[in-house]
Amino acid sequence: MSQLTKILAISIMVFIPISSYSHGDEKHSLIGESKADKLDQCVEPTEVMQKEHFEFLYHQRENTVEKGIRTKNHSLANCIDCHVSHDEKGKAIPVNAEGQFCQTCHVKTAVNIDCFSCHATVPRDNSSKIKSTGHNQNIHIESTANNLVEYYKETNYEK
Amino acid sequence: MDKITFTKFIIDPKIFWSNFILLGIFILIGFGCSHYMELEGHYVTGMNNQIVWGLPHIFAVLLIVIASGVLNIASISSVFDKKLYKPLAPLSALLAISFLIAGLAILVLDLGRPNRLIVAMTTYNFVSIFSWNIFLYSGFAVVLAAYIWTMLDREVNKYSKFMGTFAFGWRIILTTGTGSIFGFLVAREAYSTAILAPLFIVMSLLYGTAVYYLVLRIISKFHNTYIPKDVLDNLKKLSVMFLFANLYFLGLYHVTNMYIAKHWDFEIFILSSGGIYTLSFWLGQVIIGIVLPIIILSSNKFGTHLALTIASFLILLGGFIAMYVIIIGGQAYPLTIFPDHVIIDSSFYDNVVHSYIPSIYEFGLGIGGVALALIITLIGIANFKFLPTMISSSHSSEPSDKTTGS
Amino acid sequence: MRNSAELTRREFIVKSVTAISAVYIIPDLIPKAVAAKPLDLEVSAKTKWAINVDVNKCVDGCTACVEACVDENGLYGFDRPETDSQWIRKLQIKDIKTDKVTTLPMMCQHCENPPCVDVCPTGASFRREDGIVMVNQHTCIGCRYCMMACPFKARSFVHENLTEQVTSAPRGKGCVESCNLCVNRIDHGSETTACEEACMKEGHHAITFGDLADPKSRVSLAMQAKPSRRLREDLKLKQRVTYSGF
Repeated sequence: MSQLTKILAISIMVFIPISSYSHGDEKHSLIGESKADKLDQCVEPTEVMQKEHFEFLYHQRENTVEKGIRTKNHSLANCIDCHVSHDEKGKAIPVNAEGQFCQTCHVKTAVNIDCFSCHATVPRDNSSKIKSTGHNQNIHIESTANNLVEYYKETNYEK
Repeated sequence: MDKITFTKFIIDPKIFWSNFILLGIFILIGFGCSHYMELEGHYVTGMNNQIVWGLPHIFAVLLIVIASGVLNIASISSVFDKKLYKPLAPLSALLAISFLIAGLAILVLDLGRPNRLIVAMTTYNFVSIFSWNIFLYSGFAVVLAAYIWTMLDREVNKYSKFMGTFAFGWRIILTTGTGSIFGFLVAREAYSTAILAPLFIVMSLLYGTAVYYLVLRIISKFHNTYIPKDVLDNLKKLSVMFLFANLYFLGLYHVTNMYIAKHWDFEIFILSSGGIYTLSFWLGQVIIGIVLPIIILSSNKFGTHLALTIASFLILLGGFIAMYVIIIGGQAYPLTIFPDHVIIDSSFYDNVVHSYIPSIYEFGLGIGGVALALIITLIGIANFKFLPTMISSSHSSEPSDKTTGS
Repeated sequence: MRNSAELTRREFIVKSVTAISAVYIIPDLIPKAVAAKPLDLEVSAKTKWAINVDVNKCVDGCTACVEACVDENGLYGFDRPETDSQWIRKLQIKDIKTDKVTTLPMMCQHCENPPCVDVCPTGASFRREDGIVMVNQHTCIGCRYCMMACPFKARSFVHENLTEQVTSAPRGKGCVESCNLCVNRIDHGSETTACEEACMKEGHHAITFGDLADPKSRVSLAMQAKPSRRLREDLKLKQRVTYSGF
């Protein structure tokens, strides 16, 4: 009997959700300052955000991509806008970098996030990206197409 | 009536494990190649925005086509009631499962995002034949498992005819689906035709028979599996029949295309002006893959075993090259986007025949897949009773090459 | 002798009429964000985005539309033209009947019966209600079947790791992408796509974009002015991108 209670007690303690881990009054990231540091709460109350921020994002991404609904509240771009930290020089630090907002929780919970293989990690508009010249070069190669044109001419294609 | 008993592959552990490890190494190399492709991105492969499906897809489609075709041996016994093939049926079903899994594995590991496999298996767009194929392929594995069960377990043996017919029907639909992956593409002159479905079916019958014979031959070198002469002669006749069927459908496909003025440029490209593609078509698909095997199998100069072995190798080589012509050749020819106009300049390679040079990673992935098929077969025959031994004195037996404890 | 500071009656009338009409006309010449769809409203089939390309106005050697698209969507390349993405490209074509050479831009044709949507196994390639055909990159598994299916070779596969995306155009390795009519920009109210704006800035006005449901939109007017055609009409894909002039 006492074995059972011991096991019960341990399992209860282990499975109590770790809600004690929250950003609360701490700074959101280890390096730099972000807009979010100065604010009381996120777009939803903090406990709600902790438990369900991915639900908001999943729901929002369906709405945005499939239906064109671009409300700012739950959009990922808005999250990044507020939560991205800037270093002393004012340059934005990628929001998924080590010690930054996403990683301070996601490393501890060991949940892999895939957002940033596609989404920009700092607010970036189109004036500041790398240019390449690959697109503007037309490839001048002797092509079968020229042979085809000759072929058409030879077979007296109707003009 | 001869009593058919099935047995496990009693094999010297050294031989088993050395083969297992050898195949395992190839499989690991295949996984490593796929991982590298996923990590770095597909720019490390030879596939690009012009040739989007390459060597992995050649391997994958070929293996899946073989999987569907190798079941034919079992179908002949269960569905068409040829008692002669009954001992060979379970092995054929095992080969079908192993080649199917291998083909699927290659396909999945070449995806741009293989980590989204769960998405692929849960969200379906049922207008897409690809989507149907995912369902058909995985369902086929289940059907095959049930079919093998009915063949090997005496208590459920009475259902084997039903399962065999069910598997036969499923496999026809599956191969139609595989051919229709290309047949439903309106955009390309090489595809967009219903005849690709029956062409793939006869290709599957041909390659499946070839693979089955080769595997049986390899096993018989180590095991006292006796293959009656009637079966061999039958396999020979079947192969010749399937070869002619292939020739027929291939010829029909190309001749019809030549009547369609829209497709003429592409046909001229494949049949005469396409460089490597023309060479592959005539030398590989037609001569090596169809004509030479017909000559070898029909002539009396070779012994049955030798003829079948050489012909099977040539058929499989021809099959690989046929897939190359269909898949790569179909993408190599530039699209005719503008009526009455020829594109003379483009930054996106619209004006040239696209070249494809496979990288070592794609080849590694493909070979890893083949190794996966063989290793599943090896494990299967060593642990379950797939191989037949016949107890009979009324058949003239071939001298077996080696006798290990049977 | 007239004092130069004083205006004659004629000058006064001419100048004031010019000034007043300028106030009314010039704003119409500059495309601006009008009262756009509210951000929380779903797009509907009442809007019919379309593009018309007047091939005769397209200038050989000009690649303003391509550069603008690269800028707008962050399509930076790795100097690997075989695998770098191209959402819009310039083509030079020759008429086999007359040997006349024309040049034109080519992008996703936003078909109403898109083959790419038909073949996508997960439904990632889809057609939005307002006509834009795009890839839902949350669902795309990177099988490239849509690239096989496209009659115009409009789609590109992202072959390498990307780190410098622009916020308004998320794109990543392993997914397929194509021109999306600058969907982010037009959903937020812009009246032009990047390629159209660039073409206008160059003064060519070859590309016109707009809402077909609005008879006064630039694209509707362009299509009423000149007969237009779709490429590969025999496939009956009913593209929203039309070409005039050849």
